[in-house]
Amino acid sequence: MTWKRTADAVVIGGGMMGMATAYYLKKLGMKDVVLLDKNTVASGATGRCAAAFRATWGGELNIILGKACIEKYEHLEEELGMDIGLYQNGYLFMAYSDAQLENFKKCIALQNSLGVPSRMLTHDDARELCPGINVDDVKGFYWHKRDGHADPMLTNFAHWEAAKREGVVIEKFTEVTGFKMGKDEIKGVCTNKGYIDTNLVINAAGAWAGKVAALAGLSIPVHGERHEIFATEPVDFNVCPTFLMSYDPDFYMQQRPHGSIIAGCGPHRYRAEAAPFNDYEMGDSWDFLEHMTGIMNHVLPRTKGIRVVRQWSGMYDITPDMQPVIGEAEEMKGFWMNVSGSRGFMFGPVAGEMVAEQILFGKTELPIEKFHWSRYARGEYLLDTAIA
Amino acid sequence: MQLISEHPVLQYQHGKKVEFSFDGKKLEGFEGEPIAMALHANGVHIYRVTPEMERPRGFFCAIGKCSSCFMVVDGVPNVRTCVTPLKEGMKVETQRGKGAIPMEGETD
Repeated sequence: MTWKRTADAVVIGGGMMGMATAYYLKKLGMKDVVLLDKNTVASGATGRCAAAFRATWGGELNIILGKACIEKYEHLEEELGMDIGLYQNGYLFMAYSDAQLENFKKCIALQNSLGVPSRMLTHDDARELCPGINVDDVKGFYWHKRDGHADPMLTNFAHWEAAKREGVVIEKFTEVTGFKMGKDEIKGVCTNKGYIDTNLVINAAGAWAGKVAALAGLSIPVHGERHEIFATEPVDFNVCPTFLMSYDPDFYMQQRPHGSIIAGCGPHRYRAEAAPFNDYEMGDSWDFLEHMTGIMNHVLPRTKGIRVVRQWSGMYDITPDMQPVIGEAEEMKGFWMNVSGSRGFMFGPVAGEMVAEQILFGKTELPIEKFHWSRYARGEYLLDTAIA
Repeated sequence: MQLISEHPVLQYQHGKKVEFSFDGKKLEGFEGEPIAMALHANGVHIYRVTPEMERPRGFFCAIGKCSSCFMVVDGVPNVRTCVTPLKEGMKVETQRGKGAIPMEGETD
């Protein structure tokens, strides 16, 4: 493909956030859209994630956004014309202390008030939902049927194919090396493959977005944190047919319809030292494998003896309040951020459309202005009590 | 059992002869030798049926790597029979699909 020397917009990052942004920009009427990825499509966090989506958050904004994501995911296959491996049978949240249970009740009340019909489940309900689950030390459960998961590769690739159909130019293995800037505006993007003249850049580089922003002289607080995960051999699909999640002990587990069980947790839980997880190195550890298989065998005793066939890690994009960083830089016109705060797979399709609408039409349905990082300078943090 | 008994270079030293069952049928084999080998010696060549296309699979890599010989042994699915030693009274079954994981306390 010939190199585009000029573009109406350049999107940086070929994960869910970037690919969806490029797709919607083009679809909603922008002429020349170029997407760059320093590696390949879904090579960052998207292709490594647990691939779930939910509306069961603890803050109003996240619940509204999560609800929009579920509605989006339910129609993605029609929208994109490709299978995305959608599976909806809820998140089952498990409380191991009274304090957690109290928090669940608050979350449910808030979620219900915003039209998300989550509800408490009894121990028997939980056993029915997930045969063989160990509920002995669990204080309580709550569940929301429409939460679910999909295949991250298929979903990202479906957006990729749809973006190509619309006419987005996608340049893989193309790394941004700098920006051409006027006094307070973006004029172009320099890459290892060549230069592109543009007045609009959307930085959707996830964990690397802070580094990309620094190339434009912007200090935006996004950094990467390594999280580990594993997958088991496929077994009959009734071992973990709902997404299991707990905050303390910290874990999530889900079984893909193909039969593989995927499980992971935060890095601070299996390593004594808190750092460094932000060294941008992928890799995997025995500490994680030992810790996580132990939890899995405790929560799902049936998994004893099932073999782990893969273990890997990915970069969470960490922001100061673990919430999205979305908007146009005040000091650099034409430089947009579209960073999810570690849930790019979940928010990608909605965030992409939201940013594209805001850029093209100057308005969008969701309260996009709330996600601007200028909130940090004002000391405002978006609070949510239901973040893993 | 069909096994080579004489070989110009190798010497065979079998263990104790034991009984086991294959899909409910009584068969004989040598203790400590791979389950797949005992089945092969008894003329059993189909060990599992693939989940989607329902195609037969049998002995293939013989070193525990390829998943071709997965069977249900004593209620446990996905057992690599080519590297699992035979024991007296083992209940060996053809595996259909991905393998049902028994509930706790259900394995025999």
